[in-house]
Amino acid sequence: MDKLPGRIAGTFKYFSKLLAGNKKLKVGVAIFTTIIVLAIIEPYVNRLRLGNRSPDEIGLGGSYEPPSPRFPLGTCPWGRDIFGMLLLGTRLTLVIGLLSGIVATAIAVLLGFISAYKGGLIDHALRSFIDAFLVIPTWPIFVIIAAYVKILGLIEISLLLALFSWGGAARIIRAQVLSLKEREFINLAIVSGMRDLEIIFFEILPNFAPYIIISLTNAIMGAIFAETGLRLIGLGPPLLPTLGYLLNLTLSGGFLTIRPYVVAFVSAMLILIFLSLNLINIGLEEEFNPRLKKVTGL
Amino acid sequence: MGSSYLLSLENVTKSYVVGGFYSRRVINAVEEVSFKLPQEPIVTALVGESGSGKTTIARIILGLIKPTSGKVLYKGRDVFEILKENSLWYRKEVQAIFQDPYEVYNPFYRVDRVLKVAIKKFNLAQDEREATELINQALEAVGLRPQDVLGRYPHQLSGGERQRLMLARAFLIKPRLIVADEPVSMIDVSLKAIFLEHLKLFKEKFGISCIYITHDLNTANYVADNVVVLNYGRVVEIGEMSTIVNKPLHPYTALLINSILLPDPKARSSARSSFRVSESTLRELRPRVGCVYQQRCPKAMDKCFKERPPLVEVQKDHFVACFLYQ
Amino acid sequence: MSEEILRVENLKIYYKSMWGDYRVVDDVCLSVYKGEIFGVAGESGCGKSTLVEGILRLVKPPGYIAGGRIIFEGKDLLGLSEEELRRIRWRKISYVPQGAMNALNPVLRIEEQMIDAIIDHLGYLPKEKGREFAAAALEAVGLPHEVLKMYPHELSGGMRQRVIIATAIALSPSLVVADEPITALDVVTTRTVLETLAMLRDKYGITVVFVSHDMAAHAELVDKLAIMYAGKIVEVGNVNSVFYDPLHPYTRGLIEAIPKLDKKTIKPIPGLAPSPLEWPPGCRFHPRCLFAIERCKKELPELKEVGSGRLVACHLVQG
Repeated sequence: MDKLPGRIAGTFKYFSKLLAGNKKLKVGVAIFTTIIVLAIIEPYVNRLRLGNRSPDEIGLGGSYEPPSPRFPLGTCPWGRDIFGMLLLGTRLTLVIGLLSGIVATAIAVLLGFISAYKGGLIDHALRSFIDAFLVIPTWPIFVIIAAYVKILGLIEISLLLALFSWGGAARIIRAQVLSLKEREFINLAIVSGMRDLEIIFFEILPNFAPYIIISLTNAIMGAIFAETGLRLIGLGPPLLPTLGYLLNLTLSGGFLTIRPYVVAFVSAMLILIFLSLNLINIGLEEEFNPRLKKVTGL
Repeated sequence: MGSSYLLSLENVTKSYVVGGFYSRRVINAVEEVSFKLPQEPIVTALVGESGSGKTTIARIILGLIKPTSGKVLYKGRDVFEILKENSLWYRKEVQAIFQDPYEVYNPFYRVDRVLKVAIKKFNLAQDEREATELINQALEAVGLRPQDVLGRYPHQLSGGERQRLMLARAFLIKPRLIVADEPVSMIDVSLKAIFLEHLKLFKEKFGISCIYITHDLNTANYVADNVVVLNYGRVVEIGEMSTIVNKPLHPYTALLINSILLPDPKARSSARSSFRVSESTLRELRPRVGCVYQQRCPKAMDKCFKERPPLVEVQKDHFVACFLYQ
Repeated sequence: MSEEILRVENLKIYYKSMWGDYRVVDDVCLSVYKGEIFGVAGESGCGKSTLVEGILRLVKPPGYIAGGRIIFEGKDLLGLSEEELRRIRWRKISYVPQGAMNALNPVLRIEEQMIDAIIDHLGYLPKEKGREFAAAALEAVGLPHEVLKMYPHELSGGMRQRVIIATAIALSPSLVVADEPITALDVVTTRTVLETLAMLRDKYGITVVFVSHDMAAHAELVDKLAIMYAGKIVEVGNVNSVFYDPLHPYTRGLIEAIPKLDKKTIKPIPGLAPSPLEWPPGCRFHPRCLFAIERCKKELPELKEVGSGRLVACHLVQG
């Protein structure tokens, strides 16, 4: 088609302009990027600190050790390195969130889009399918699955979470595409001789790319939330030490009374993840619905 | 297969089913509409209030909607057949100018894109250099300065500029027929004039015919040679512009003409003839039987409530659908 | 001679932006007398809608009132508190905003919507009283009582617009400001709405400020006409004198640009409207004016009286 590099450079410029204009977006992206960086360097940091051993290994240190240069946040009742687990947990939580979020959003976009664009019987059929998925009570299902299936790895958990959470986003995307389809510039594209696929990619997609990103951030948050929630009631694979797992560990280990700052740190990390994603979300919505800016006054 | 007409609509009907589970009704947005455009370049006005079906007809001619029944023939061939085989050819022949200069641009792209897409799709230029030249020519032809317009986003231009850019696009493509759906209703008075001048020029200099859709007879009178009057989806009168304006036959056409506001304080309707705008009934239902104008017609007779009057040629090239003349 | 009901003095409404101030309404002076229909004409971008928003104190950020006074019944509206304004809005001055007929709630009956609006501005009111007000208002605009129980989609465009007008006069205000009430309406519907507005004046003595870019509508309806261009008023006068003896070149251009049934030629005004960010120096119309002289490029002409009730801002006319 057109010169692709030009298009990519254009998108890049578009996003940087977007970032520059909105405080919330800037802050959100900044925090989230920092957390991602943390997650990426985690293996190296922990390798440096602990050699070949994993921070969640039992017996790394003594039981309930106070913070020291070796263990900045001390150890848990079984001698595991809390600080290391904080970093590891951040990485795992993010991976689950991202994987689950991307898969869920991909399904939502595909189904929502086809449903809206094709219309007619296909729309009818897909809509019912999407609605059926929405009605399924995800939380009880997660609990049941988590309680009965012991061997759940990272990928399995992520896909599971994704499988049941794409419904809402699909609905929204379908609604968006439906309304975009009716706009006059689509008619202009048709009389200009553009074909269906061209119209989908070049006319419609750019206009709802922001909604895809918003759906993505929502999906990521939802997945992390669900996984953490499961952990807090004690469910989920013990070999996957996510932040939720760590939180549950510290709470049940009584750290709230003896060393509350440990719990605070873990909570803070979770809160920062949600905060940054939320800021990105709101920032994006503000940009694409400028009226919101006047309401919030920020 | 040749034909003496450029465009021919034959009994085109478009029905929609409205209502939910309990009360389904069939509404004919367009009902048995027939009219023709000759081969010579002409500007034909399609006039009617909102709900008259004029936009639906535009979309049918442009191939955006399929009629429920009836045919649209372009140069003797069925438009929807053409679109199936070789849509690009039809697109080059028949172009559009839409009403809303705000909505017709994709906000994601700069305005140049509408011109560039046209050039690419219709192979109007061999290379970049020729394309730029064509674009500049087109802009200048409609009175836009390239530096004022190129590289801008839609929200940076005024409504008038955007609509003129649409004219430039039409100039670029040079179709055989332009379907213009209320092209000046959303721009200012002073720009309306310029726009209409250009439509006339397109016909005179480039032989481009135009179907000019509007509810405003004033602008129609200025730019069109003949006129098709629509009411509730049916054609009620067809004729030459000057004839219709001076001696409208159908009562609805007469209402439209008399409702025109004259920019002349001494000619206020209150001071003018005893013409009263008849009070429309509460529920403006499209009558399923009888003449579509029955509810408001001051001259309605018994027959008018029972049968739909057919469109009949009462004088040369002058058609009316009214029992008064049959 | 009737008395003055509204006087706008040197009103300035600007919009803040990162490139500077958009001087949308820039030093506007107007006088509206009781019982007349006062038209404000001008093309899009001249500031007339903002002017109206200013009079009703509806200007929202980034717009702000940069100066001037709006005297209504002896009080400066710009100096009133929010509470005092609420007592004036709808009861003394009411507003028919642009596109209001399309903003009716499709799931509520007309009656409910009208009563809602009345209660909003009057404070608590028993349903019965509200219904009375609404019925009386509908009658005043010539709509039958059955309309109360109907939904917006069951009414035609013209009727919806009349419902809006009825809602505006429900509390018997002395002044109604209508912003582009006939834009996007059909010829026939336009007629009906204009007749309704005229009736407000004739039967109920309500003063109307009618803002529209449609010169023919002004010719049909108004008593006095003010022409606005580039944020300023350039001509004011009795509608007959403005149409038959337009003094300002812009006014003349506007009138000549209107297509008429009997005229086959229309003369468009050359050039494009300037931007409120940077008005041209001197007379703002000079870049497009066929009669501009040297003085026009440097000196901004003031709106001066050149006959009884006739004001013009043009060097050529003032001499």
